[in-house]
Amino acid sequence: MAKIQNPLLLTLYSKYVDRILSSTASIEDANQRLRDLGRDIGSQVYLTTEIVDKTKETVSTREDVAKLMDVIFKSLFNKKPSNVDMKTARGSVRVTDKDCLWCQDVHLEGMRGFGYCEIFSGILEAILEFKGVESKVFQEMCRATGAEVCTWNVRLVW
Amino acid sequence: MTTDLERALSKLRFDDQVLGYSLMTKDGRPFVSFSFPDELFPRVRDSISLYKSDLRLMTIDTEKGLVVLSPVDTNWILTVLYVPELQLGLAIAKTKNVLRLLEGIELPPPPDEFEESVEGNLQVLETIAINAASTSPVPSSNGQPVDVPVTAAASPAVTAASAPIIERSPEDFAVQPSTIPKRGETYTTALTLDSDLHKEMKKNHRNFGFDVLMLVDGKLTVERIADSMFQSNERVAELLMWAASKGIVNVPLETGTVKKKEATLGRFVKCPKYEGPPAKVKPEHKRIINACDGTQTTDAIAELLGVTHAKVIQTVALYRKHGLKMIGRTV
Repeated sequence: MAKIQNPLLLTLYSKYVDRILSSTASIEDANQRLRDLGRDIGSQVYLTTEIVDKTKETVSTREDVAKLMDVIFKSLFNKKPSNVDMKTARGSVRVTDKDCLWCQDVHLEGMRGFGYCEIFSGILEAILEFKGVESKVFQEMCRATGAEVCTWNVRLVW
Repeated sequence: MTTDLERALSKLRFDDQVLGYSLMTKDGRPFVSFSFPDELFPRVRDSISLYKSDLRLMTIDTEKGLVVLSPVDTNWILTVLYVPELQLGLAIAKTKNVLRLLEGIELPPPPDEFEESVEGNLQVLETIAINAASTSPVPSSNGQPVDVPVTAAASPAVTAASAPIIERSPEDFAVQPSTIPKRGETYTTALTLDSDLHKEMKKNHRNFGFDVLMLVDGKLTVERIADSMFQSNERVAELLMWAASKGIVNVPLETGTVKKKEATLGRFVKCPKYEGPPAKVKPEHKRIINACDGTQTTDAIAELLGVTHAKVIQTVALYRKHGLKMIGRTV
């Protein structure tokens, strides 16, 4: 059996996902509601971690955004993201995690397009907003639905 | 006026942790005292004269116990002697509770001549107040003191429990942390020591009932009352629901079963409170940080000041290292 990191968080989050999925018929709506949840808790995450102290007061370049991603991963997951890609998509930063915490040992079938870890999109969006960066974040790929890695697309609106 | 003053002071008298108290003039002369040791007066007087008009809240650790001094207004100082083992914070909180009760009372200045530490001086104070006319809330036509100012204060209260004929049970009332209880028709009776109602309250709730009722002034919310007594909202709400069923206080009635299902602890929120040095606050952050008093959420602060929520979070986050805390509470 795979070793689960932070089983309490995982269990709590799966309860949330269950509740959302049982109250909507639309994948897109479920994704949005998970993002909303992330945005809701984003301020608490920002206020209870070292993110504010470890980052520049203003984030103004894509490099700054990449560094911010490193700090967020370090603060929340005590690791670096597997990859932060600033090149392949114009106007976006792609963040990849091959050992994503949120969807450990989750295997979904027939749920194409569902981002199990969309909560993290919301958290990223909120933190970027507190750093003065407007963005739209969504999960492009998710291990829970069969992808190799979890990837979030951070679309920056400068 | 004096009845309210007496009521406020009786809170101290019935407190087991209070050894004595004295209402003193700003010169340090004891006007009305109760069990306050005479030998402590010179020391208290010295402390008062040392600080003069700058006196705020002050504590003196004496061999008899802990003395807390606090100005009531420009003329009067309340001095309370607590048992030595009482924690400093609790002693200060208890004193502040009494001060809060005294807030609404306009005390006249002391007479030029008076005998020190006499309990009858309260009546002297009352006479001065009535002569001054404007300070007495309900002077009767013949100039005599009106005996029941509390009833007068209670009369405009909520009508929810104003039908004593209908027997109601505590469950018929809805008390939330944000509810403001008001004094009811039997409020005075409940505080009268030899009344059956007081005995019933004492039997069921001991001194807790008395303590809660003393703080019911039509202004404080259940949450504020619970906070100042270091008690849970639920315990205070439970007592108030019982008191409402007896007409002692007025609180809203429960409205139907649907509402009953929704009766919860309230919404759990976190409110920022800045307890760090004011000098650390940058001028551009002052408006937001000043609003961080532990009673308002970041959303409420943003709305109050007309700034974005993100701006409030950004600012609040910067001051965590300087002593900003997030206080969890139910609203």
